[in-house]
Amino acid sequence: MDLQITNLQKYYSGRCVLNIENQRIKKGSFLGIIGPNGAGKSTLVKIIAGLVEAGNGTVSYNGSGLNTAVQQNMTLVFQRPYLLRTTVFNNIAYPLVVRKVKRQEISDRVNSVMESLDIRSLKDQKAWTLSGGETQKVALARAIVINPSLLLLDEPTANIDPGSILVMEENIKKFHEQGNSTVIVVTHNLQQGKRLCDDIAFMHKGEIIESGSADDVFNHPKNILTEKFIAGEILI
Amino acid sequence: MAHIIEGIRDAINLLLSFDKEIYGIIGLSLYVSLASTLISGIVAIPIGIVLGIKSFPVKKAVIRLLYTMMSLPPVIVGLVVFLFISRNGLLGNLRIVYTPTAIIVAQVLLVTPIIMGTVYAGARERGEEIQNVAYTLGANRAQALILLIKELRVNIFSAIVTGYGRAISEVGAVMVVGGNIKGHTRVMTTVIAMLKNMGQYGMAIAIGIILLLISFIINSILYKLQQGD
Repeated sequence: MDLQITNLQKYYSGRCVLNIENQRIKKGSFLGIIGPNGAGKSTLVKIIAGLVEAGNGTVSYNGSGLNTAVQQNMTLVFQRPYLLRTTVFNNIAYPLVVRKVKRQEISDRVNSVMESLDIRSLKDQKAWTLSGGETQKVALARAIVINPSLLLLDEPTANIDPGSILVMEENIKKFHEQGNSTVIVVTHNLQQGKRLCDDIAFMHKGEIIESGSADDVFNHPKNILTEKFIAGEILI
Repeated sequence: MAHIIEGIRDAINLLLSFDKEIYGIIGLSLYVSLASTLISGIVAIPIGIVLGIKSFPVKKAVIRLLYTMMSLPPVIVGLVVFLFISRNGLLGNLRIVYTPTAIIVAQVLLVTPIIMGTVYAGARERGEEIQNVAYTLGANRAQALILLIKELRVNIFSAIVTGYGRAISEVGAVMVVGGNIKGHTRVMTTVIAMLKNMGQYGMAIAIGIILLLISFIINSILYKLQQGD
């Protein structure tokens, strides 16, 4: 999915929390959004997902506004994902159920995605009995089971152990490489940004200060704020 | 202690006697309590959910009012309902005073805020999160609402159990609007109060034990349903 953000502004209680003049996210790209706390990263992702209304400006998806077809083609994994009070299988099946996919196909697709994420053994387990890492994997499986054109990830590995982080990253990368989906990941973890992303956008106080290829932004930052953030001089 | 032992013995004897009057009282108690809980649930559950997930200008005032209503003194509710439905009252022409319908009306007024408040608390806590998950996974508004109700089922069942508990144990309002008329509006709680006044403690405890037994059975059924996940 091709995204175009134009003159996007968001205010909370009169305070501008987001101000993005122009940003294009090309179809099939893997963009990492980095920046300190309060930079507006999560707000931006929520606006793209249609959960928060933009005050001013627009986000266009393949040239059109947010409509049912667009919404049906994107998913979001939250930092602390909410799993439905049912089995792991039913959780992963939910996006297919709401799209009225046939029962047999649901079963095949859910089993396939569980296989690829190595969570087949959790199939009949109740969601509330899972560990943090397992919860994140199930949330990722639930998000990619429909093979979305746009996958949004808001700190998908923030609350899990290092071993699970690498497994998650591997799977996110595998998903991106398999298809032509656009992936946007919000992360505090600069190393993760380096490992995963083709492009990076650095945000500070609601603005995209610098964006470009991951190599350029991490190794040859043009802006002093970006340089300071990467050097760890601006606190995360 | 002797009264309690006597009461247990009487309770068993009463249940085994298949006495028409006793079973009539039990039946009426169940009927009015279940009917009022059902009506309250139909009204209160959707409103509780809406209050939990929607924002509107006077919401804080509405919530304060709701919490106040949750602790309404039953006798006051009974009195107000009685004044409305008594012969000279605003709704006197309905002629429902001292009928089971009057008891149901009073119980609905007591139970509705309890169910609404409990559902509201659950929806406020998790409603937005559940809706966000639904929307980001491609659900439309109706599907998101169905998911919300399914996910809040524990809160909804708790609300129903609490509301039913309030209804079946109610005595003050029931006495005022129902009048404890033999064979007509006499329910278990009013008969216990009457028997106590008559000094028949054993029988009062026997009815009380039956009341507890019925509450236990109904709550067990509701609990089992709630465990459906």
